Amino acid sequence: MFEFAEWLGTTPLSVAIQSTLWVTPTLQTIHILMIAVVFTIVLVLALRVLGRVRADEPLVEIYARFAPWFWSALCVMFVTGLVLSIGEPIRETHALSFWIKMSLIVVGIVTSTIFGRTVRAAAAPDGHVYSGRARAMAVVTVAMWLFIIFLGRAIAYDVEVWGSWHLG
Amino acid sequence: MDLMPIFEFMQNSALSGYLRTSLKAMPIVEAIHVMAIATVFGTIVLVDLRLLGLPNVQRSFGKLHHELVQWTWIAFGIAVITGVLLLMVNAVTYHRNTAFWLKMIAMGLAGLNMLVFELVTAKSVSKWDKGVAPPLAARTAGALSIILWISVIVFGRWIGFTKGYDFSIPEDVQFDFSVPQ
Repeated sequence: MFEFAEWLGTTPLSVAIQSTLWVTPTLQTIHILMIAVVFTIVLVLALRVLGRVRADEPLVEIYARFAPWFWSALCVMFVTGLVLSIGEPIRETHALSFWIKMSLIVVGIVTSTIFGRTVRAAAAPDGHVYSGRARAMAVVTVAMWLFIIFLGRAIAYDVEVWGSWHLG
Repeated sequence: MDLMPIFEFMQNSALSGYLRTSLKAMPIVEAIHVMAIATVFGTIVLVDLRLLGLPNVQRSFGKLHHELVQWTWIAFGIAVITGVLLLMVNAVTYHRNTAFWLKMIAMGLAGLNMLVFELVTAKSVSKWDKGVAPPLAARTAGALSIILWISVIVFGRWIGFTKGYDFSIPEDVQFDFSVPQ
């Protein structure tokens, strides 16, 4: 994996990304704006489960409105993230933060898909009070996505954050 | 008005020294800053889109605003605290960074836009709260807010790329530029 990263760092695409000044900051900015979209949607849906926002609207309707934006933003993040990683392959592959982040994103995609199916199947009306377990899941989900944001920033500080657990 | 003395004071403070030398403090502060700005921007965009009449005017503006803006303010508070900590560590370098000042100006304008909206435009909200296209002033406030907050994030990222490093040489260090034999 590390050898692949070293090789990737020497390819024309990677070198172009590294040496063109505006590419990385622009992609990172788009990535950050998409973080806002994804996380805010997660937050609003969690707050809805907790009955704190839009309690007069069925969760399934709120979900239907936000879902396309959630998945589109994740796609944009995948593309920007991929290009950013191609530009700094060694740093990413050596970062424990990077690998945990990718794993948690997979978990997030799976749980979001299950959430969508559960919400659509249940189609609970407005005013429905969600169970303690559902509320706990809402809080855990928000915490997980916050942790993903933390890991994203920690990639650049992987040695400081993880010490000897940093890879290579 | 020369703000440099304030910036120097911040950078020379004990807190700044602690943050600078602590291994884990700055990554954590920066990460919390990202979480906070994501929440600020995301929640305010939802309000701004509603001001623009998007996706529709079915839902009460007042209710949406009330439910979301409390989160915007909480997140903004966290962003300001972490932002000040970030600033303190390298204050002098930020002082001469153009992107930093542009970001501050953009935030100031965003605040002004919000103030004008709350004090003037929002007075008539009962007329356009639901089922009616928001007035031009409201739509303008929404559009300006989105543009300004995107600018804040763009400039914020550019600070990181234009901040440069502080290579000031301590006074008692002598450099030897003689050619080695």
